[in-house]
Amino acid sequence: MQDGVVLTTLDEFLNWGRKNSLWPMTFGLACCAIEMMATGAAKYDLERFGCGAFMATPRRADLMIVAGTVTLKMATRVKVLYEQMAEPKYVISMGSCANKGGPYWQYGYHVLKGVDEVVPVDVYVPGCPPRPEALIEGVMTLQKKIANERLLRNKWVKHA
Amino acid sequence: MHKELSDLINRNVTGANAVAYLTADAKKFDSSITVETSHIYKVVEFLKTNKTTSFNSLHCISGVDYTDYMEVCYMLTNYDPSAVRNLTLKVRVTDRVNAAIDSVVGQFVSADFLEREVYDMFGIKFNNHPDMRRILCPDDWEGFPLRKDYVAQKDYNGMTVYPDNKMNMEDREFIVRQNMIKKAQAEKAQ
Repeated sequence: MQDGVVLTTLDEFLNWGRKNSLWPMTFGLACCAIEMMATGAAKYDLERFGCGAFMATPRRADLMIVAGTVTLKMATRVKVLYEQMAEPKYVISMGSCANKGGPYWQYGYHVLKGVDEVVPVDVYVPGCPPRPEALIEGVMTLQKKIANERLLRNKWVKHA
Repeated sequence: MHKELSDLINRNVTGANAVAYLTADAKKFDSSITVETSHIYKVVEFLKTNKTTSFNSLHCISGVDYTDYMEVCYMLTNYDPSAVRNLTLKVRVTDRVNAAIDSVVGQFVSADFLEREVYDMFGIKFNNHPDMRRILCPDDWEGFPLRKDYVAQKDYNGMTVYPDNKMNMEDREFIVRQNMIKKAQAEKAQ
């Protein structure tokens, strides 16, 4: 076993490493952030998916979990934080507010109607707020998405 | 209590013109005292420093827009255990364009943020305030959101506030139709 040989494609090997070390950014906006913290804590333990290392700076993070209401004041900051993250980078939109404005969709003069207006979103997690299980499923969905990526053919690797 | 307080204010602050508004149930704290707009600082100063009233805490300032005038309400409390009492003090602002009243930061430091919020939401400026700018909305925000005649911005910094593809127009039309039906029924009943 110690001298064994594992045969795989380079893409799959890289994706396997990347999907099991998704580092999210420490970034909570509203009540969804409380559920995100619960997901990261002992009971639900996001670290099981390699996703528990919440980074305190966008430059070290791969994943931005937009947890909560994105107001117009905050939207500009969200965009700046997303642009500061190093590629490849992913965004999970967590909760109804970040998905589509939530309860503010009709009369919320100050709320952005969905964070996908300013940053590209990979996975939407519905709920108000979503249970930790739902966020974990969102992370697992993103992991599946990463596993199917062809990183070496991607534009940012090609032109690097 | 409000009747006596308004008499006390009138006796001690000249020109305050305090009028007590009393509700049937005094325990519900809905009673209030309306004073002259230009004398709010003097009235608050009197209510704080006077030994018989000695209100030592200002825990809320809120604004109300009644379309023909605006009102600023000050919630004063006395934490003295022997005589706990609350007082709602109101002033009216009739000028909507250059709305301005005196700040009470000189008496209560807690008024700083509260007055900034009233300015942010209703556009009432507070004279002699140390830092009179918006507190919740961004600095480049247009209009004052809690005014009844406020119209939401269409765009803000290149972002559309109500994107057409995100609005569920069927739901919106449903609500509009329901309102029309209600209105027609009300007219029929008359």
